[in-house]
Amino acid sequence: MELNRRVFLKCIGAAGAGVAGAATDSTAVHAWESRAPADPLGCLVDLNRCIGCRKCEQACQTVNKLPQPEQPFDDLTVLDKKRRPDERAYTVVNRYYPGRRDERDQLVPTFVKVQCMHCQDPACASACIVGALTKKENGAVYYDISKCIGCRYCMVACPFEIPAYEYHNPVTPRVMKCTFCYERVENEGKLPGCVGICPVEAMTFGRRSNLLKIAKKRIESDPGSYVNHVYGEHEAGGTSWLYISGVPFDRVGFIQVPHRPLTELAETIQSSLFSYLWSPIVLFGMLGGIMRAFGGKSDRDINHKGEES
Amino acid sequence: MIKRLSGAIAVLAALSAIGGLAAIFSGGPAAQDARAAAVKSEPAPAEPKTGTVWTAPDQEAAKKRAQEVVPFVDAVMEECQLCRQMRLREAGLGIKDITNSYFLLDSSIIKKSEDLYGPVRFKHTKHAAELKDCALCHHRRPLDAKARETTRCSACHQEPFRVNQPERIGLKAAYHQQCTGCHQEMKKGPTDCLGCHRKNVPDHKELVNLPEKPEPIQVTRECLRCHKAVGDDMLKTAHWLWKGPSPYTLNRSKHVNHGKATTSINNF
Repeated sequence: MELNRRVFLKCIGAAGAGVAGAATDSTAVHAWESRAPADPLGCLVDLNRCIGCRKCEQACQTVNKLPQPEQPFDDLTVLDKKRRPDERAYTVVNRYYPGRRDERDQLVPTFVKVQCMHCQDPACASACIVGALTKKENGAVYYDISKCIGCRYCMVACPFEIPAYEYHNPVTPRVMKCTFCYERVENEGKLPGCVGICPVEAMTFGRRSNLLKIAKKRIESDPGSYVNHVYGEHEAGGTSWLYISGVPFDRVGFIQVPHRPLTELAETIQSSLFSYLWSPIVLFGMLGGIMRAFGGKSDRDINHKGEES
Repeated sequence: MIKRLSGAIAVLAALSAIGGLAAIFSGGPAAQDARAAAVKSEPAPAEPKTGTVWTAPDQEAAKKRAQEVVPFVDAVMEECQLCRQMRLREAGLGIKDITNSYFLLDSSIIKKSEDLYGPVRFKHTKHAAELKDCALCHHRRPLDAKARETTRCSACHQEPFRVNQPERIGLKAAYHQQCTGCHQEMKKGPTDCLGCHRKNVPDHKELVNLPEKPEPIQVTRECLRCHKAVGDDMLKTAHWLWKGPSPYTLNRSKHVNHGKATTSINNF
């Protein structure tokens, strides 16, 4: 009994030392690197400009050939429902009353357009096991239906809770999320549907670095009207869509997400676990040790029994 | 207001037409001269042909003006709103300097991206008379000293998202931000889409799908295929129910059960 425990502890110790050695080794070799495009296209949404006309929803529906909504686009009563993008709509606009009042003591609404943020290091693409979701060089997180196997890991991975699934379509279901009008922008050189139609230019389209400059300049030139925060500059390691607002973001339905890329932790663990195949080697080594220890005992037991009888 | 104006224009046009006809029918060289003079004085785009619909000359001119794309003003003078107001006032610029009192905001720059709504009819002089401050809309001037003090919106605001002038918004946004913002602030003028625009009704020739000689019920069904709400609304009106409130009858406005179906035998 004493001997067995010693053997077992030896095995554990050896495995532990192996893990420690390999872990330090692999992190030194494979530090996590962002695969974000250097200067992708993006969109800056200015919540102070949005007037909640739902024209972006309409344009999105037309451009992406989505089904007609239950309520027509000129029905503005739906703005008060806190809707989320779903399999029938890539983008929705919600109305919030965060407590600001005008000179007549009336509550001032803030309209928030919600769609895929097109992360620089998208967690959905990292979670996708078949590479159906990819971050394109122009900034779009692109979904390739021909590769998708419908595992819906992307829906779990997304920190902004964006991808939706066509559960009503059992034969050819798709993951549905904003495409950033990839084909339209890349091949036809047009603006994304929502950006093109916006009557007040609540969305500014351009290179992400320029948009950040514009955003900071707007905040700087009118600090009374904006909170000093560009949502999407650092959120989830940076996103192609950026927001500036006159009210704190948590009061108008924005999800607080960590500032480092969400893919960093998962990919670091994954890559360090499988570098040089050390983890399977250690695992099977440990299993082998245990089997040997316990297998030896049972053999001895049989031998003892044999000697005694 | 618009209706009344257009009505007045129509009456004037009718009068002048009658005058012209009278001159023509009276015959003689004098009448021919008058006819020639009438033809000469007519503006080119609105030349009336026999059998065509009469068009308002100012509307035609505004349509033509709306299609012009003026050269882009690259640099503008940076000055505060108050300085500009003072300068315009000192220069004596005002409503008397207006060259075009009516604009049709129908620029091809906007039409390039989408075409959901009809053009806005902007009454320049009326706005100027109401505001008495050119600098509210003409908020900047070209940096070039030789240029006119005030320019049209589309001189500075054209395509959106210019790389060199990142904060120079596009023409559509300039119109909407300026108009809607001011209307909201002043609590005057429309702030919704249909207050200024007319919706572009899609061509129903393509949409309506009817046989060669349709039955009346087929036509109704075809209309209701898309306009279902209109049909539902109709079922709640007095026209369908034969009873309903009678808001224009003295002391009857709250009586719901008033109509052919109940109290009255025959309204005619």
